[in-house]
Amino acid sequence: MTKKILYALGGVALVFGTWGFFDRFVAGHANANYGSYVVWGLWVAMYLFFAGVAAGSFMMSTLDYLFEVPLFKGTGRAMLWAALITLPAALTSIGLDLGHMERIYKVYMRPNFFSVMAQMVWGYTIFGGIILASLVVAIRFPERKKWLKPLMAFGLLFSVFLSGGVGALLGVNASRAYWHVGLLPAQFPVFSLASGAAMMLLIMGWFAPPDTRRSQQIRVLGLLTVSLAVVKLYFLWTDFSQSLYGQIPHNVDAVNQVLFGRYWWAFWIIQIALGTVLPIILLLHPKFARHSVVAGWMGLLVLFGFTAARANIVFPALTVPELEELRWAFSGPHLTFDYFPSLMEWAVTIGITGGATIAFLLGLDRLPIFSSQPREVTQ
Amino acid sequence: MTQSEEQKERSYSSTRRDFLRALLGVGGAAAALASMDRLMANPEAILEAINRATGDQATAVADFPFALDPTDPPDVLLRMQIELHRALQKRPEERRWVMVIDLRKCVGCHACTIACVAENRLPPGVVYRPVLEQEVGTFPNVTRTFLPKPCMQCDNPPCVPVCPVTATYTNEEGVVVVDYDQCIGCRACMTACPYASRTFDFGIQYVDNTPMGNGTLLGQSGVAPMELLPVFEYGRSRERVPHHSPIGNVRKCHFCLHRIKEGMLPACTLTCIGRATLFGDANDPESLVAEMIASPNVMRLKEELGTEPRVYYLV
Ligand code: SF4
Ligand code: SF4
Repeated sequence: MTKKILYALGGVALVFGTWGFFDRFVAGHANANYGSYVVWGLWVAMYLFFAGVAAGSFMMSTLDYLFEVPLFKGTGRAMLWAALITLPAALTSIGLDLGHMERIYKVYMRPNFFSVMAQMVWGYTIFGGIILASLVVAIRFPERKKWLKPLMAFGLLFSVFLSGGVGALLGVNASRAYWHVGLLPAQFPVFSLASGAAMMLLIMGWFAPPDTRRSQQIRVLGLLTVSLAVVKLYFLWTDFSQSLYGQIPHNVDAVNQVLFGRYWWAFWIIQIALGTVLPIILLLHPKFARHSVVAGWMGLLVLFGFTAARANIVFPALTVPELEELRWAFSGPHLTFDYFPSLMEWAVTIGITGGATIAFLLGLDRLPIFSSQPREVTQ
Repeated sequence: MTQSEEQKERSYSSTRRDFLRALLGVGGAAAALASMDRLMANPEAILEAINRATGDQATAVADFPFALDPTDPPDVLLRMQIELHRALQKRPEERRWVMVIDLRKCVGCHACTIACVAENRLPPGVVYRPVLEQEVGTFPNVTRTFLPKPCMQCDNPPCVPVCPVTATYTNEEGVVVVDYDQCIGCRACMTACPYASRTFDFGIQYVDNTPMGNGTLLGQSGVAPMELLPVFEYGRSRERVPHHSPIGNVRKCHFCLHRIKEGMLPACTLTCIGRATLFGDANDPESLVAEMIASPNVMRLKEELGTEPRVYYLV
């Protein structure tokens, strides 16, 4: 039933998205709301989000294939599949954001390896290859399981470095005080792990076939999610308190925008209340802690909270002018420091999410993601 | 030239012809503009001459048009013009182009902004040189300050290392340029620039969504061809075609390199009615800019970032 509803929702999202893709390809970037001041918008935030989920899902798959934790035996393929779906979703999101998408080959032909972005493109290419290879081995050649270990070890390294790289992509910009904290690249791998745990909670809670270990798995994943949520809250506290205490105007403005600005609800309601506090409460509550459906919902909520968190990292640093008077210096389309995504941007993002959902479900239905684990299922 | 390029060129020439005809057809203005007749008679020849002068090949700098006493030029513009010619005799890497903006002389007329828009045919939303205005003080001691802000042409530019494809780099003359054909439009350079000196070309036209106005000078049919005239940035003629560079690229001030190459001052410098914008080769000790940046009242924006801007302000 859940699957049917999700297929339907995914389909609707994809139809809406098709209009967005059409507009994007015909009119280029003309109908986007990001501009020359708020340079990166929803698509970049969603790229950070999906890339985090991909890296995190891979991290979680190592529980089965690298560390061979008995409790999570049989969960590796699902997590690899999740990584394989969310990585292209991330790359589509960032690809559509490029002014000349068709020139992406130039990053391979004439890369500037000092550029974090070039490093990321190369890194993701290799990472995508590792995920695919691991999944192929896991599904087609289960007897060659020993090949998986080195792949997993490499992949784990990549997932940490690529997550950190996403943080560095923003963090290297010395003039944007809100991003230029050494901790940003250090925080992102933790964010990735947290999104991976939430994704696993969602998959195990809603899609995995019945298994006697399920409630135990969910309990452990729930505790992991709660711990990581607490760590994330602590990161937020350190970032914001340092910024406010330090009184660097650019930083203070950015933090104030997040906390009390026009989109305060994205922070307080989506990121904190729904994405952090509610999951912490329910996942610790004795009545719900082992409940599959609730666990799935909590995974979804944490992921939802993450989308707002990514936006709250990308936008505020850009909505504070480099020079205050720029606000009025020259007017024209795309020259504003206010940003809210346009309908076309929403459509594209919703379309990508819908497409990824359908692709993920198709995999669950068509590929032996959970099957061929009779031992676990019948235990 | 490929067939499609030829077609484009033909249709482009015919829109230009139509435009010129329309221009000359307005009332009795044609009679007054005798020189326009010649243009009308052979617009292709003129366009050819323009294209020749601004084509890809470097052309020799024309001789200075009239004799001047270089020791006592009547205007700073002429002095800078002479110095520019002197600098162009040197090898590119021996010059150090800098801009000096005298804030005490700037009257906030925005002529430089407009000159730049016209020179580089900047579409809506793209600006290389906004003038930042600020009101300071409290009544009755109030004043307005104006700060023209081109790209700082940083000697240590944060925008360059972040580019994944080396599309933006410092050229041999020390000017930070963008290779439009290489740029993938990722906008990493924009987030890295501390001065918001880069804007993205979203492919918008001024005449978008305006009435057609067929056969008149007004409306899209009259004005649109002007917007589609080629730009000559970086010394290469480029038409404005949807989805083609510079649409989808990041754009910025380049000190009018294409003009400098032809021995002309940057458009903003030439247009500044207050003579507040000065331009020249700081490696020439005799130059006006070298003189100016040695004064004690000179400052640069956000010096603390270590970007080493080549744009100096006199305060
Ligand atoms: S002002 Fe900005 S765009 Fe210009 S060189 Fe410096 S960092 Fe680059
Ligand atoms: S927008 Fe163009 S010039 Fe700027 S970093 Fe990206 S590829 Fe380089």
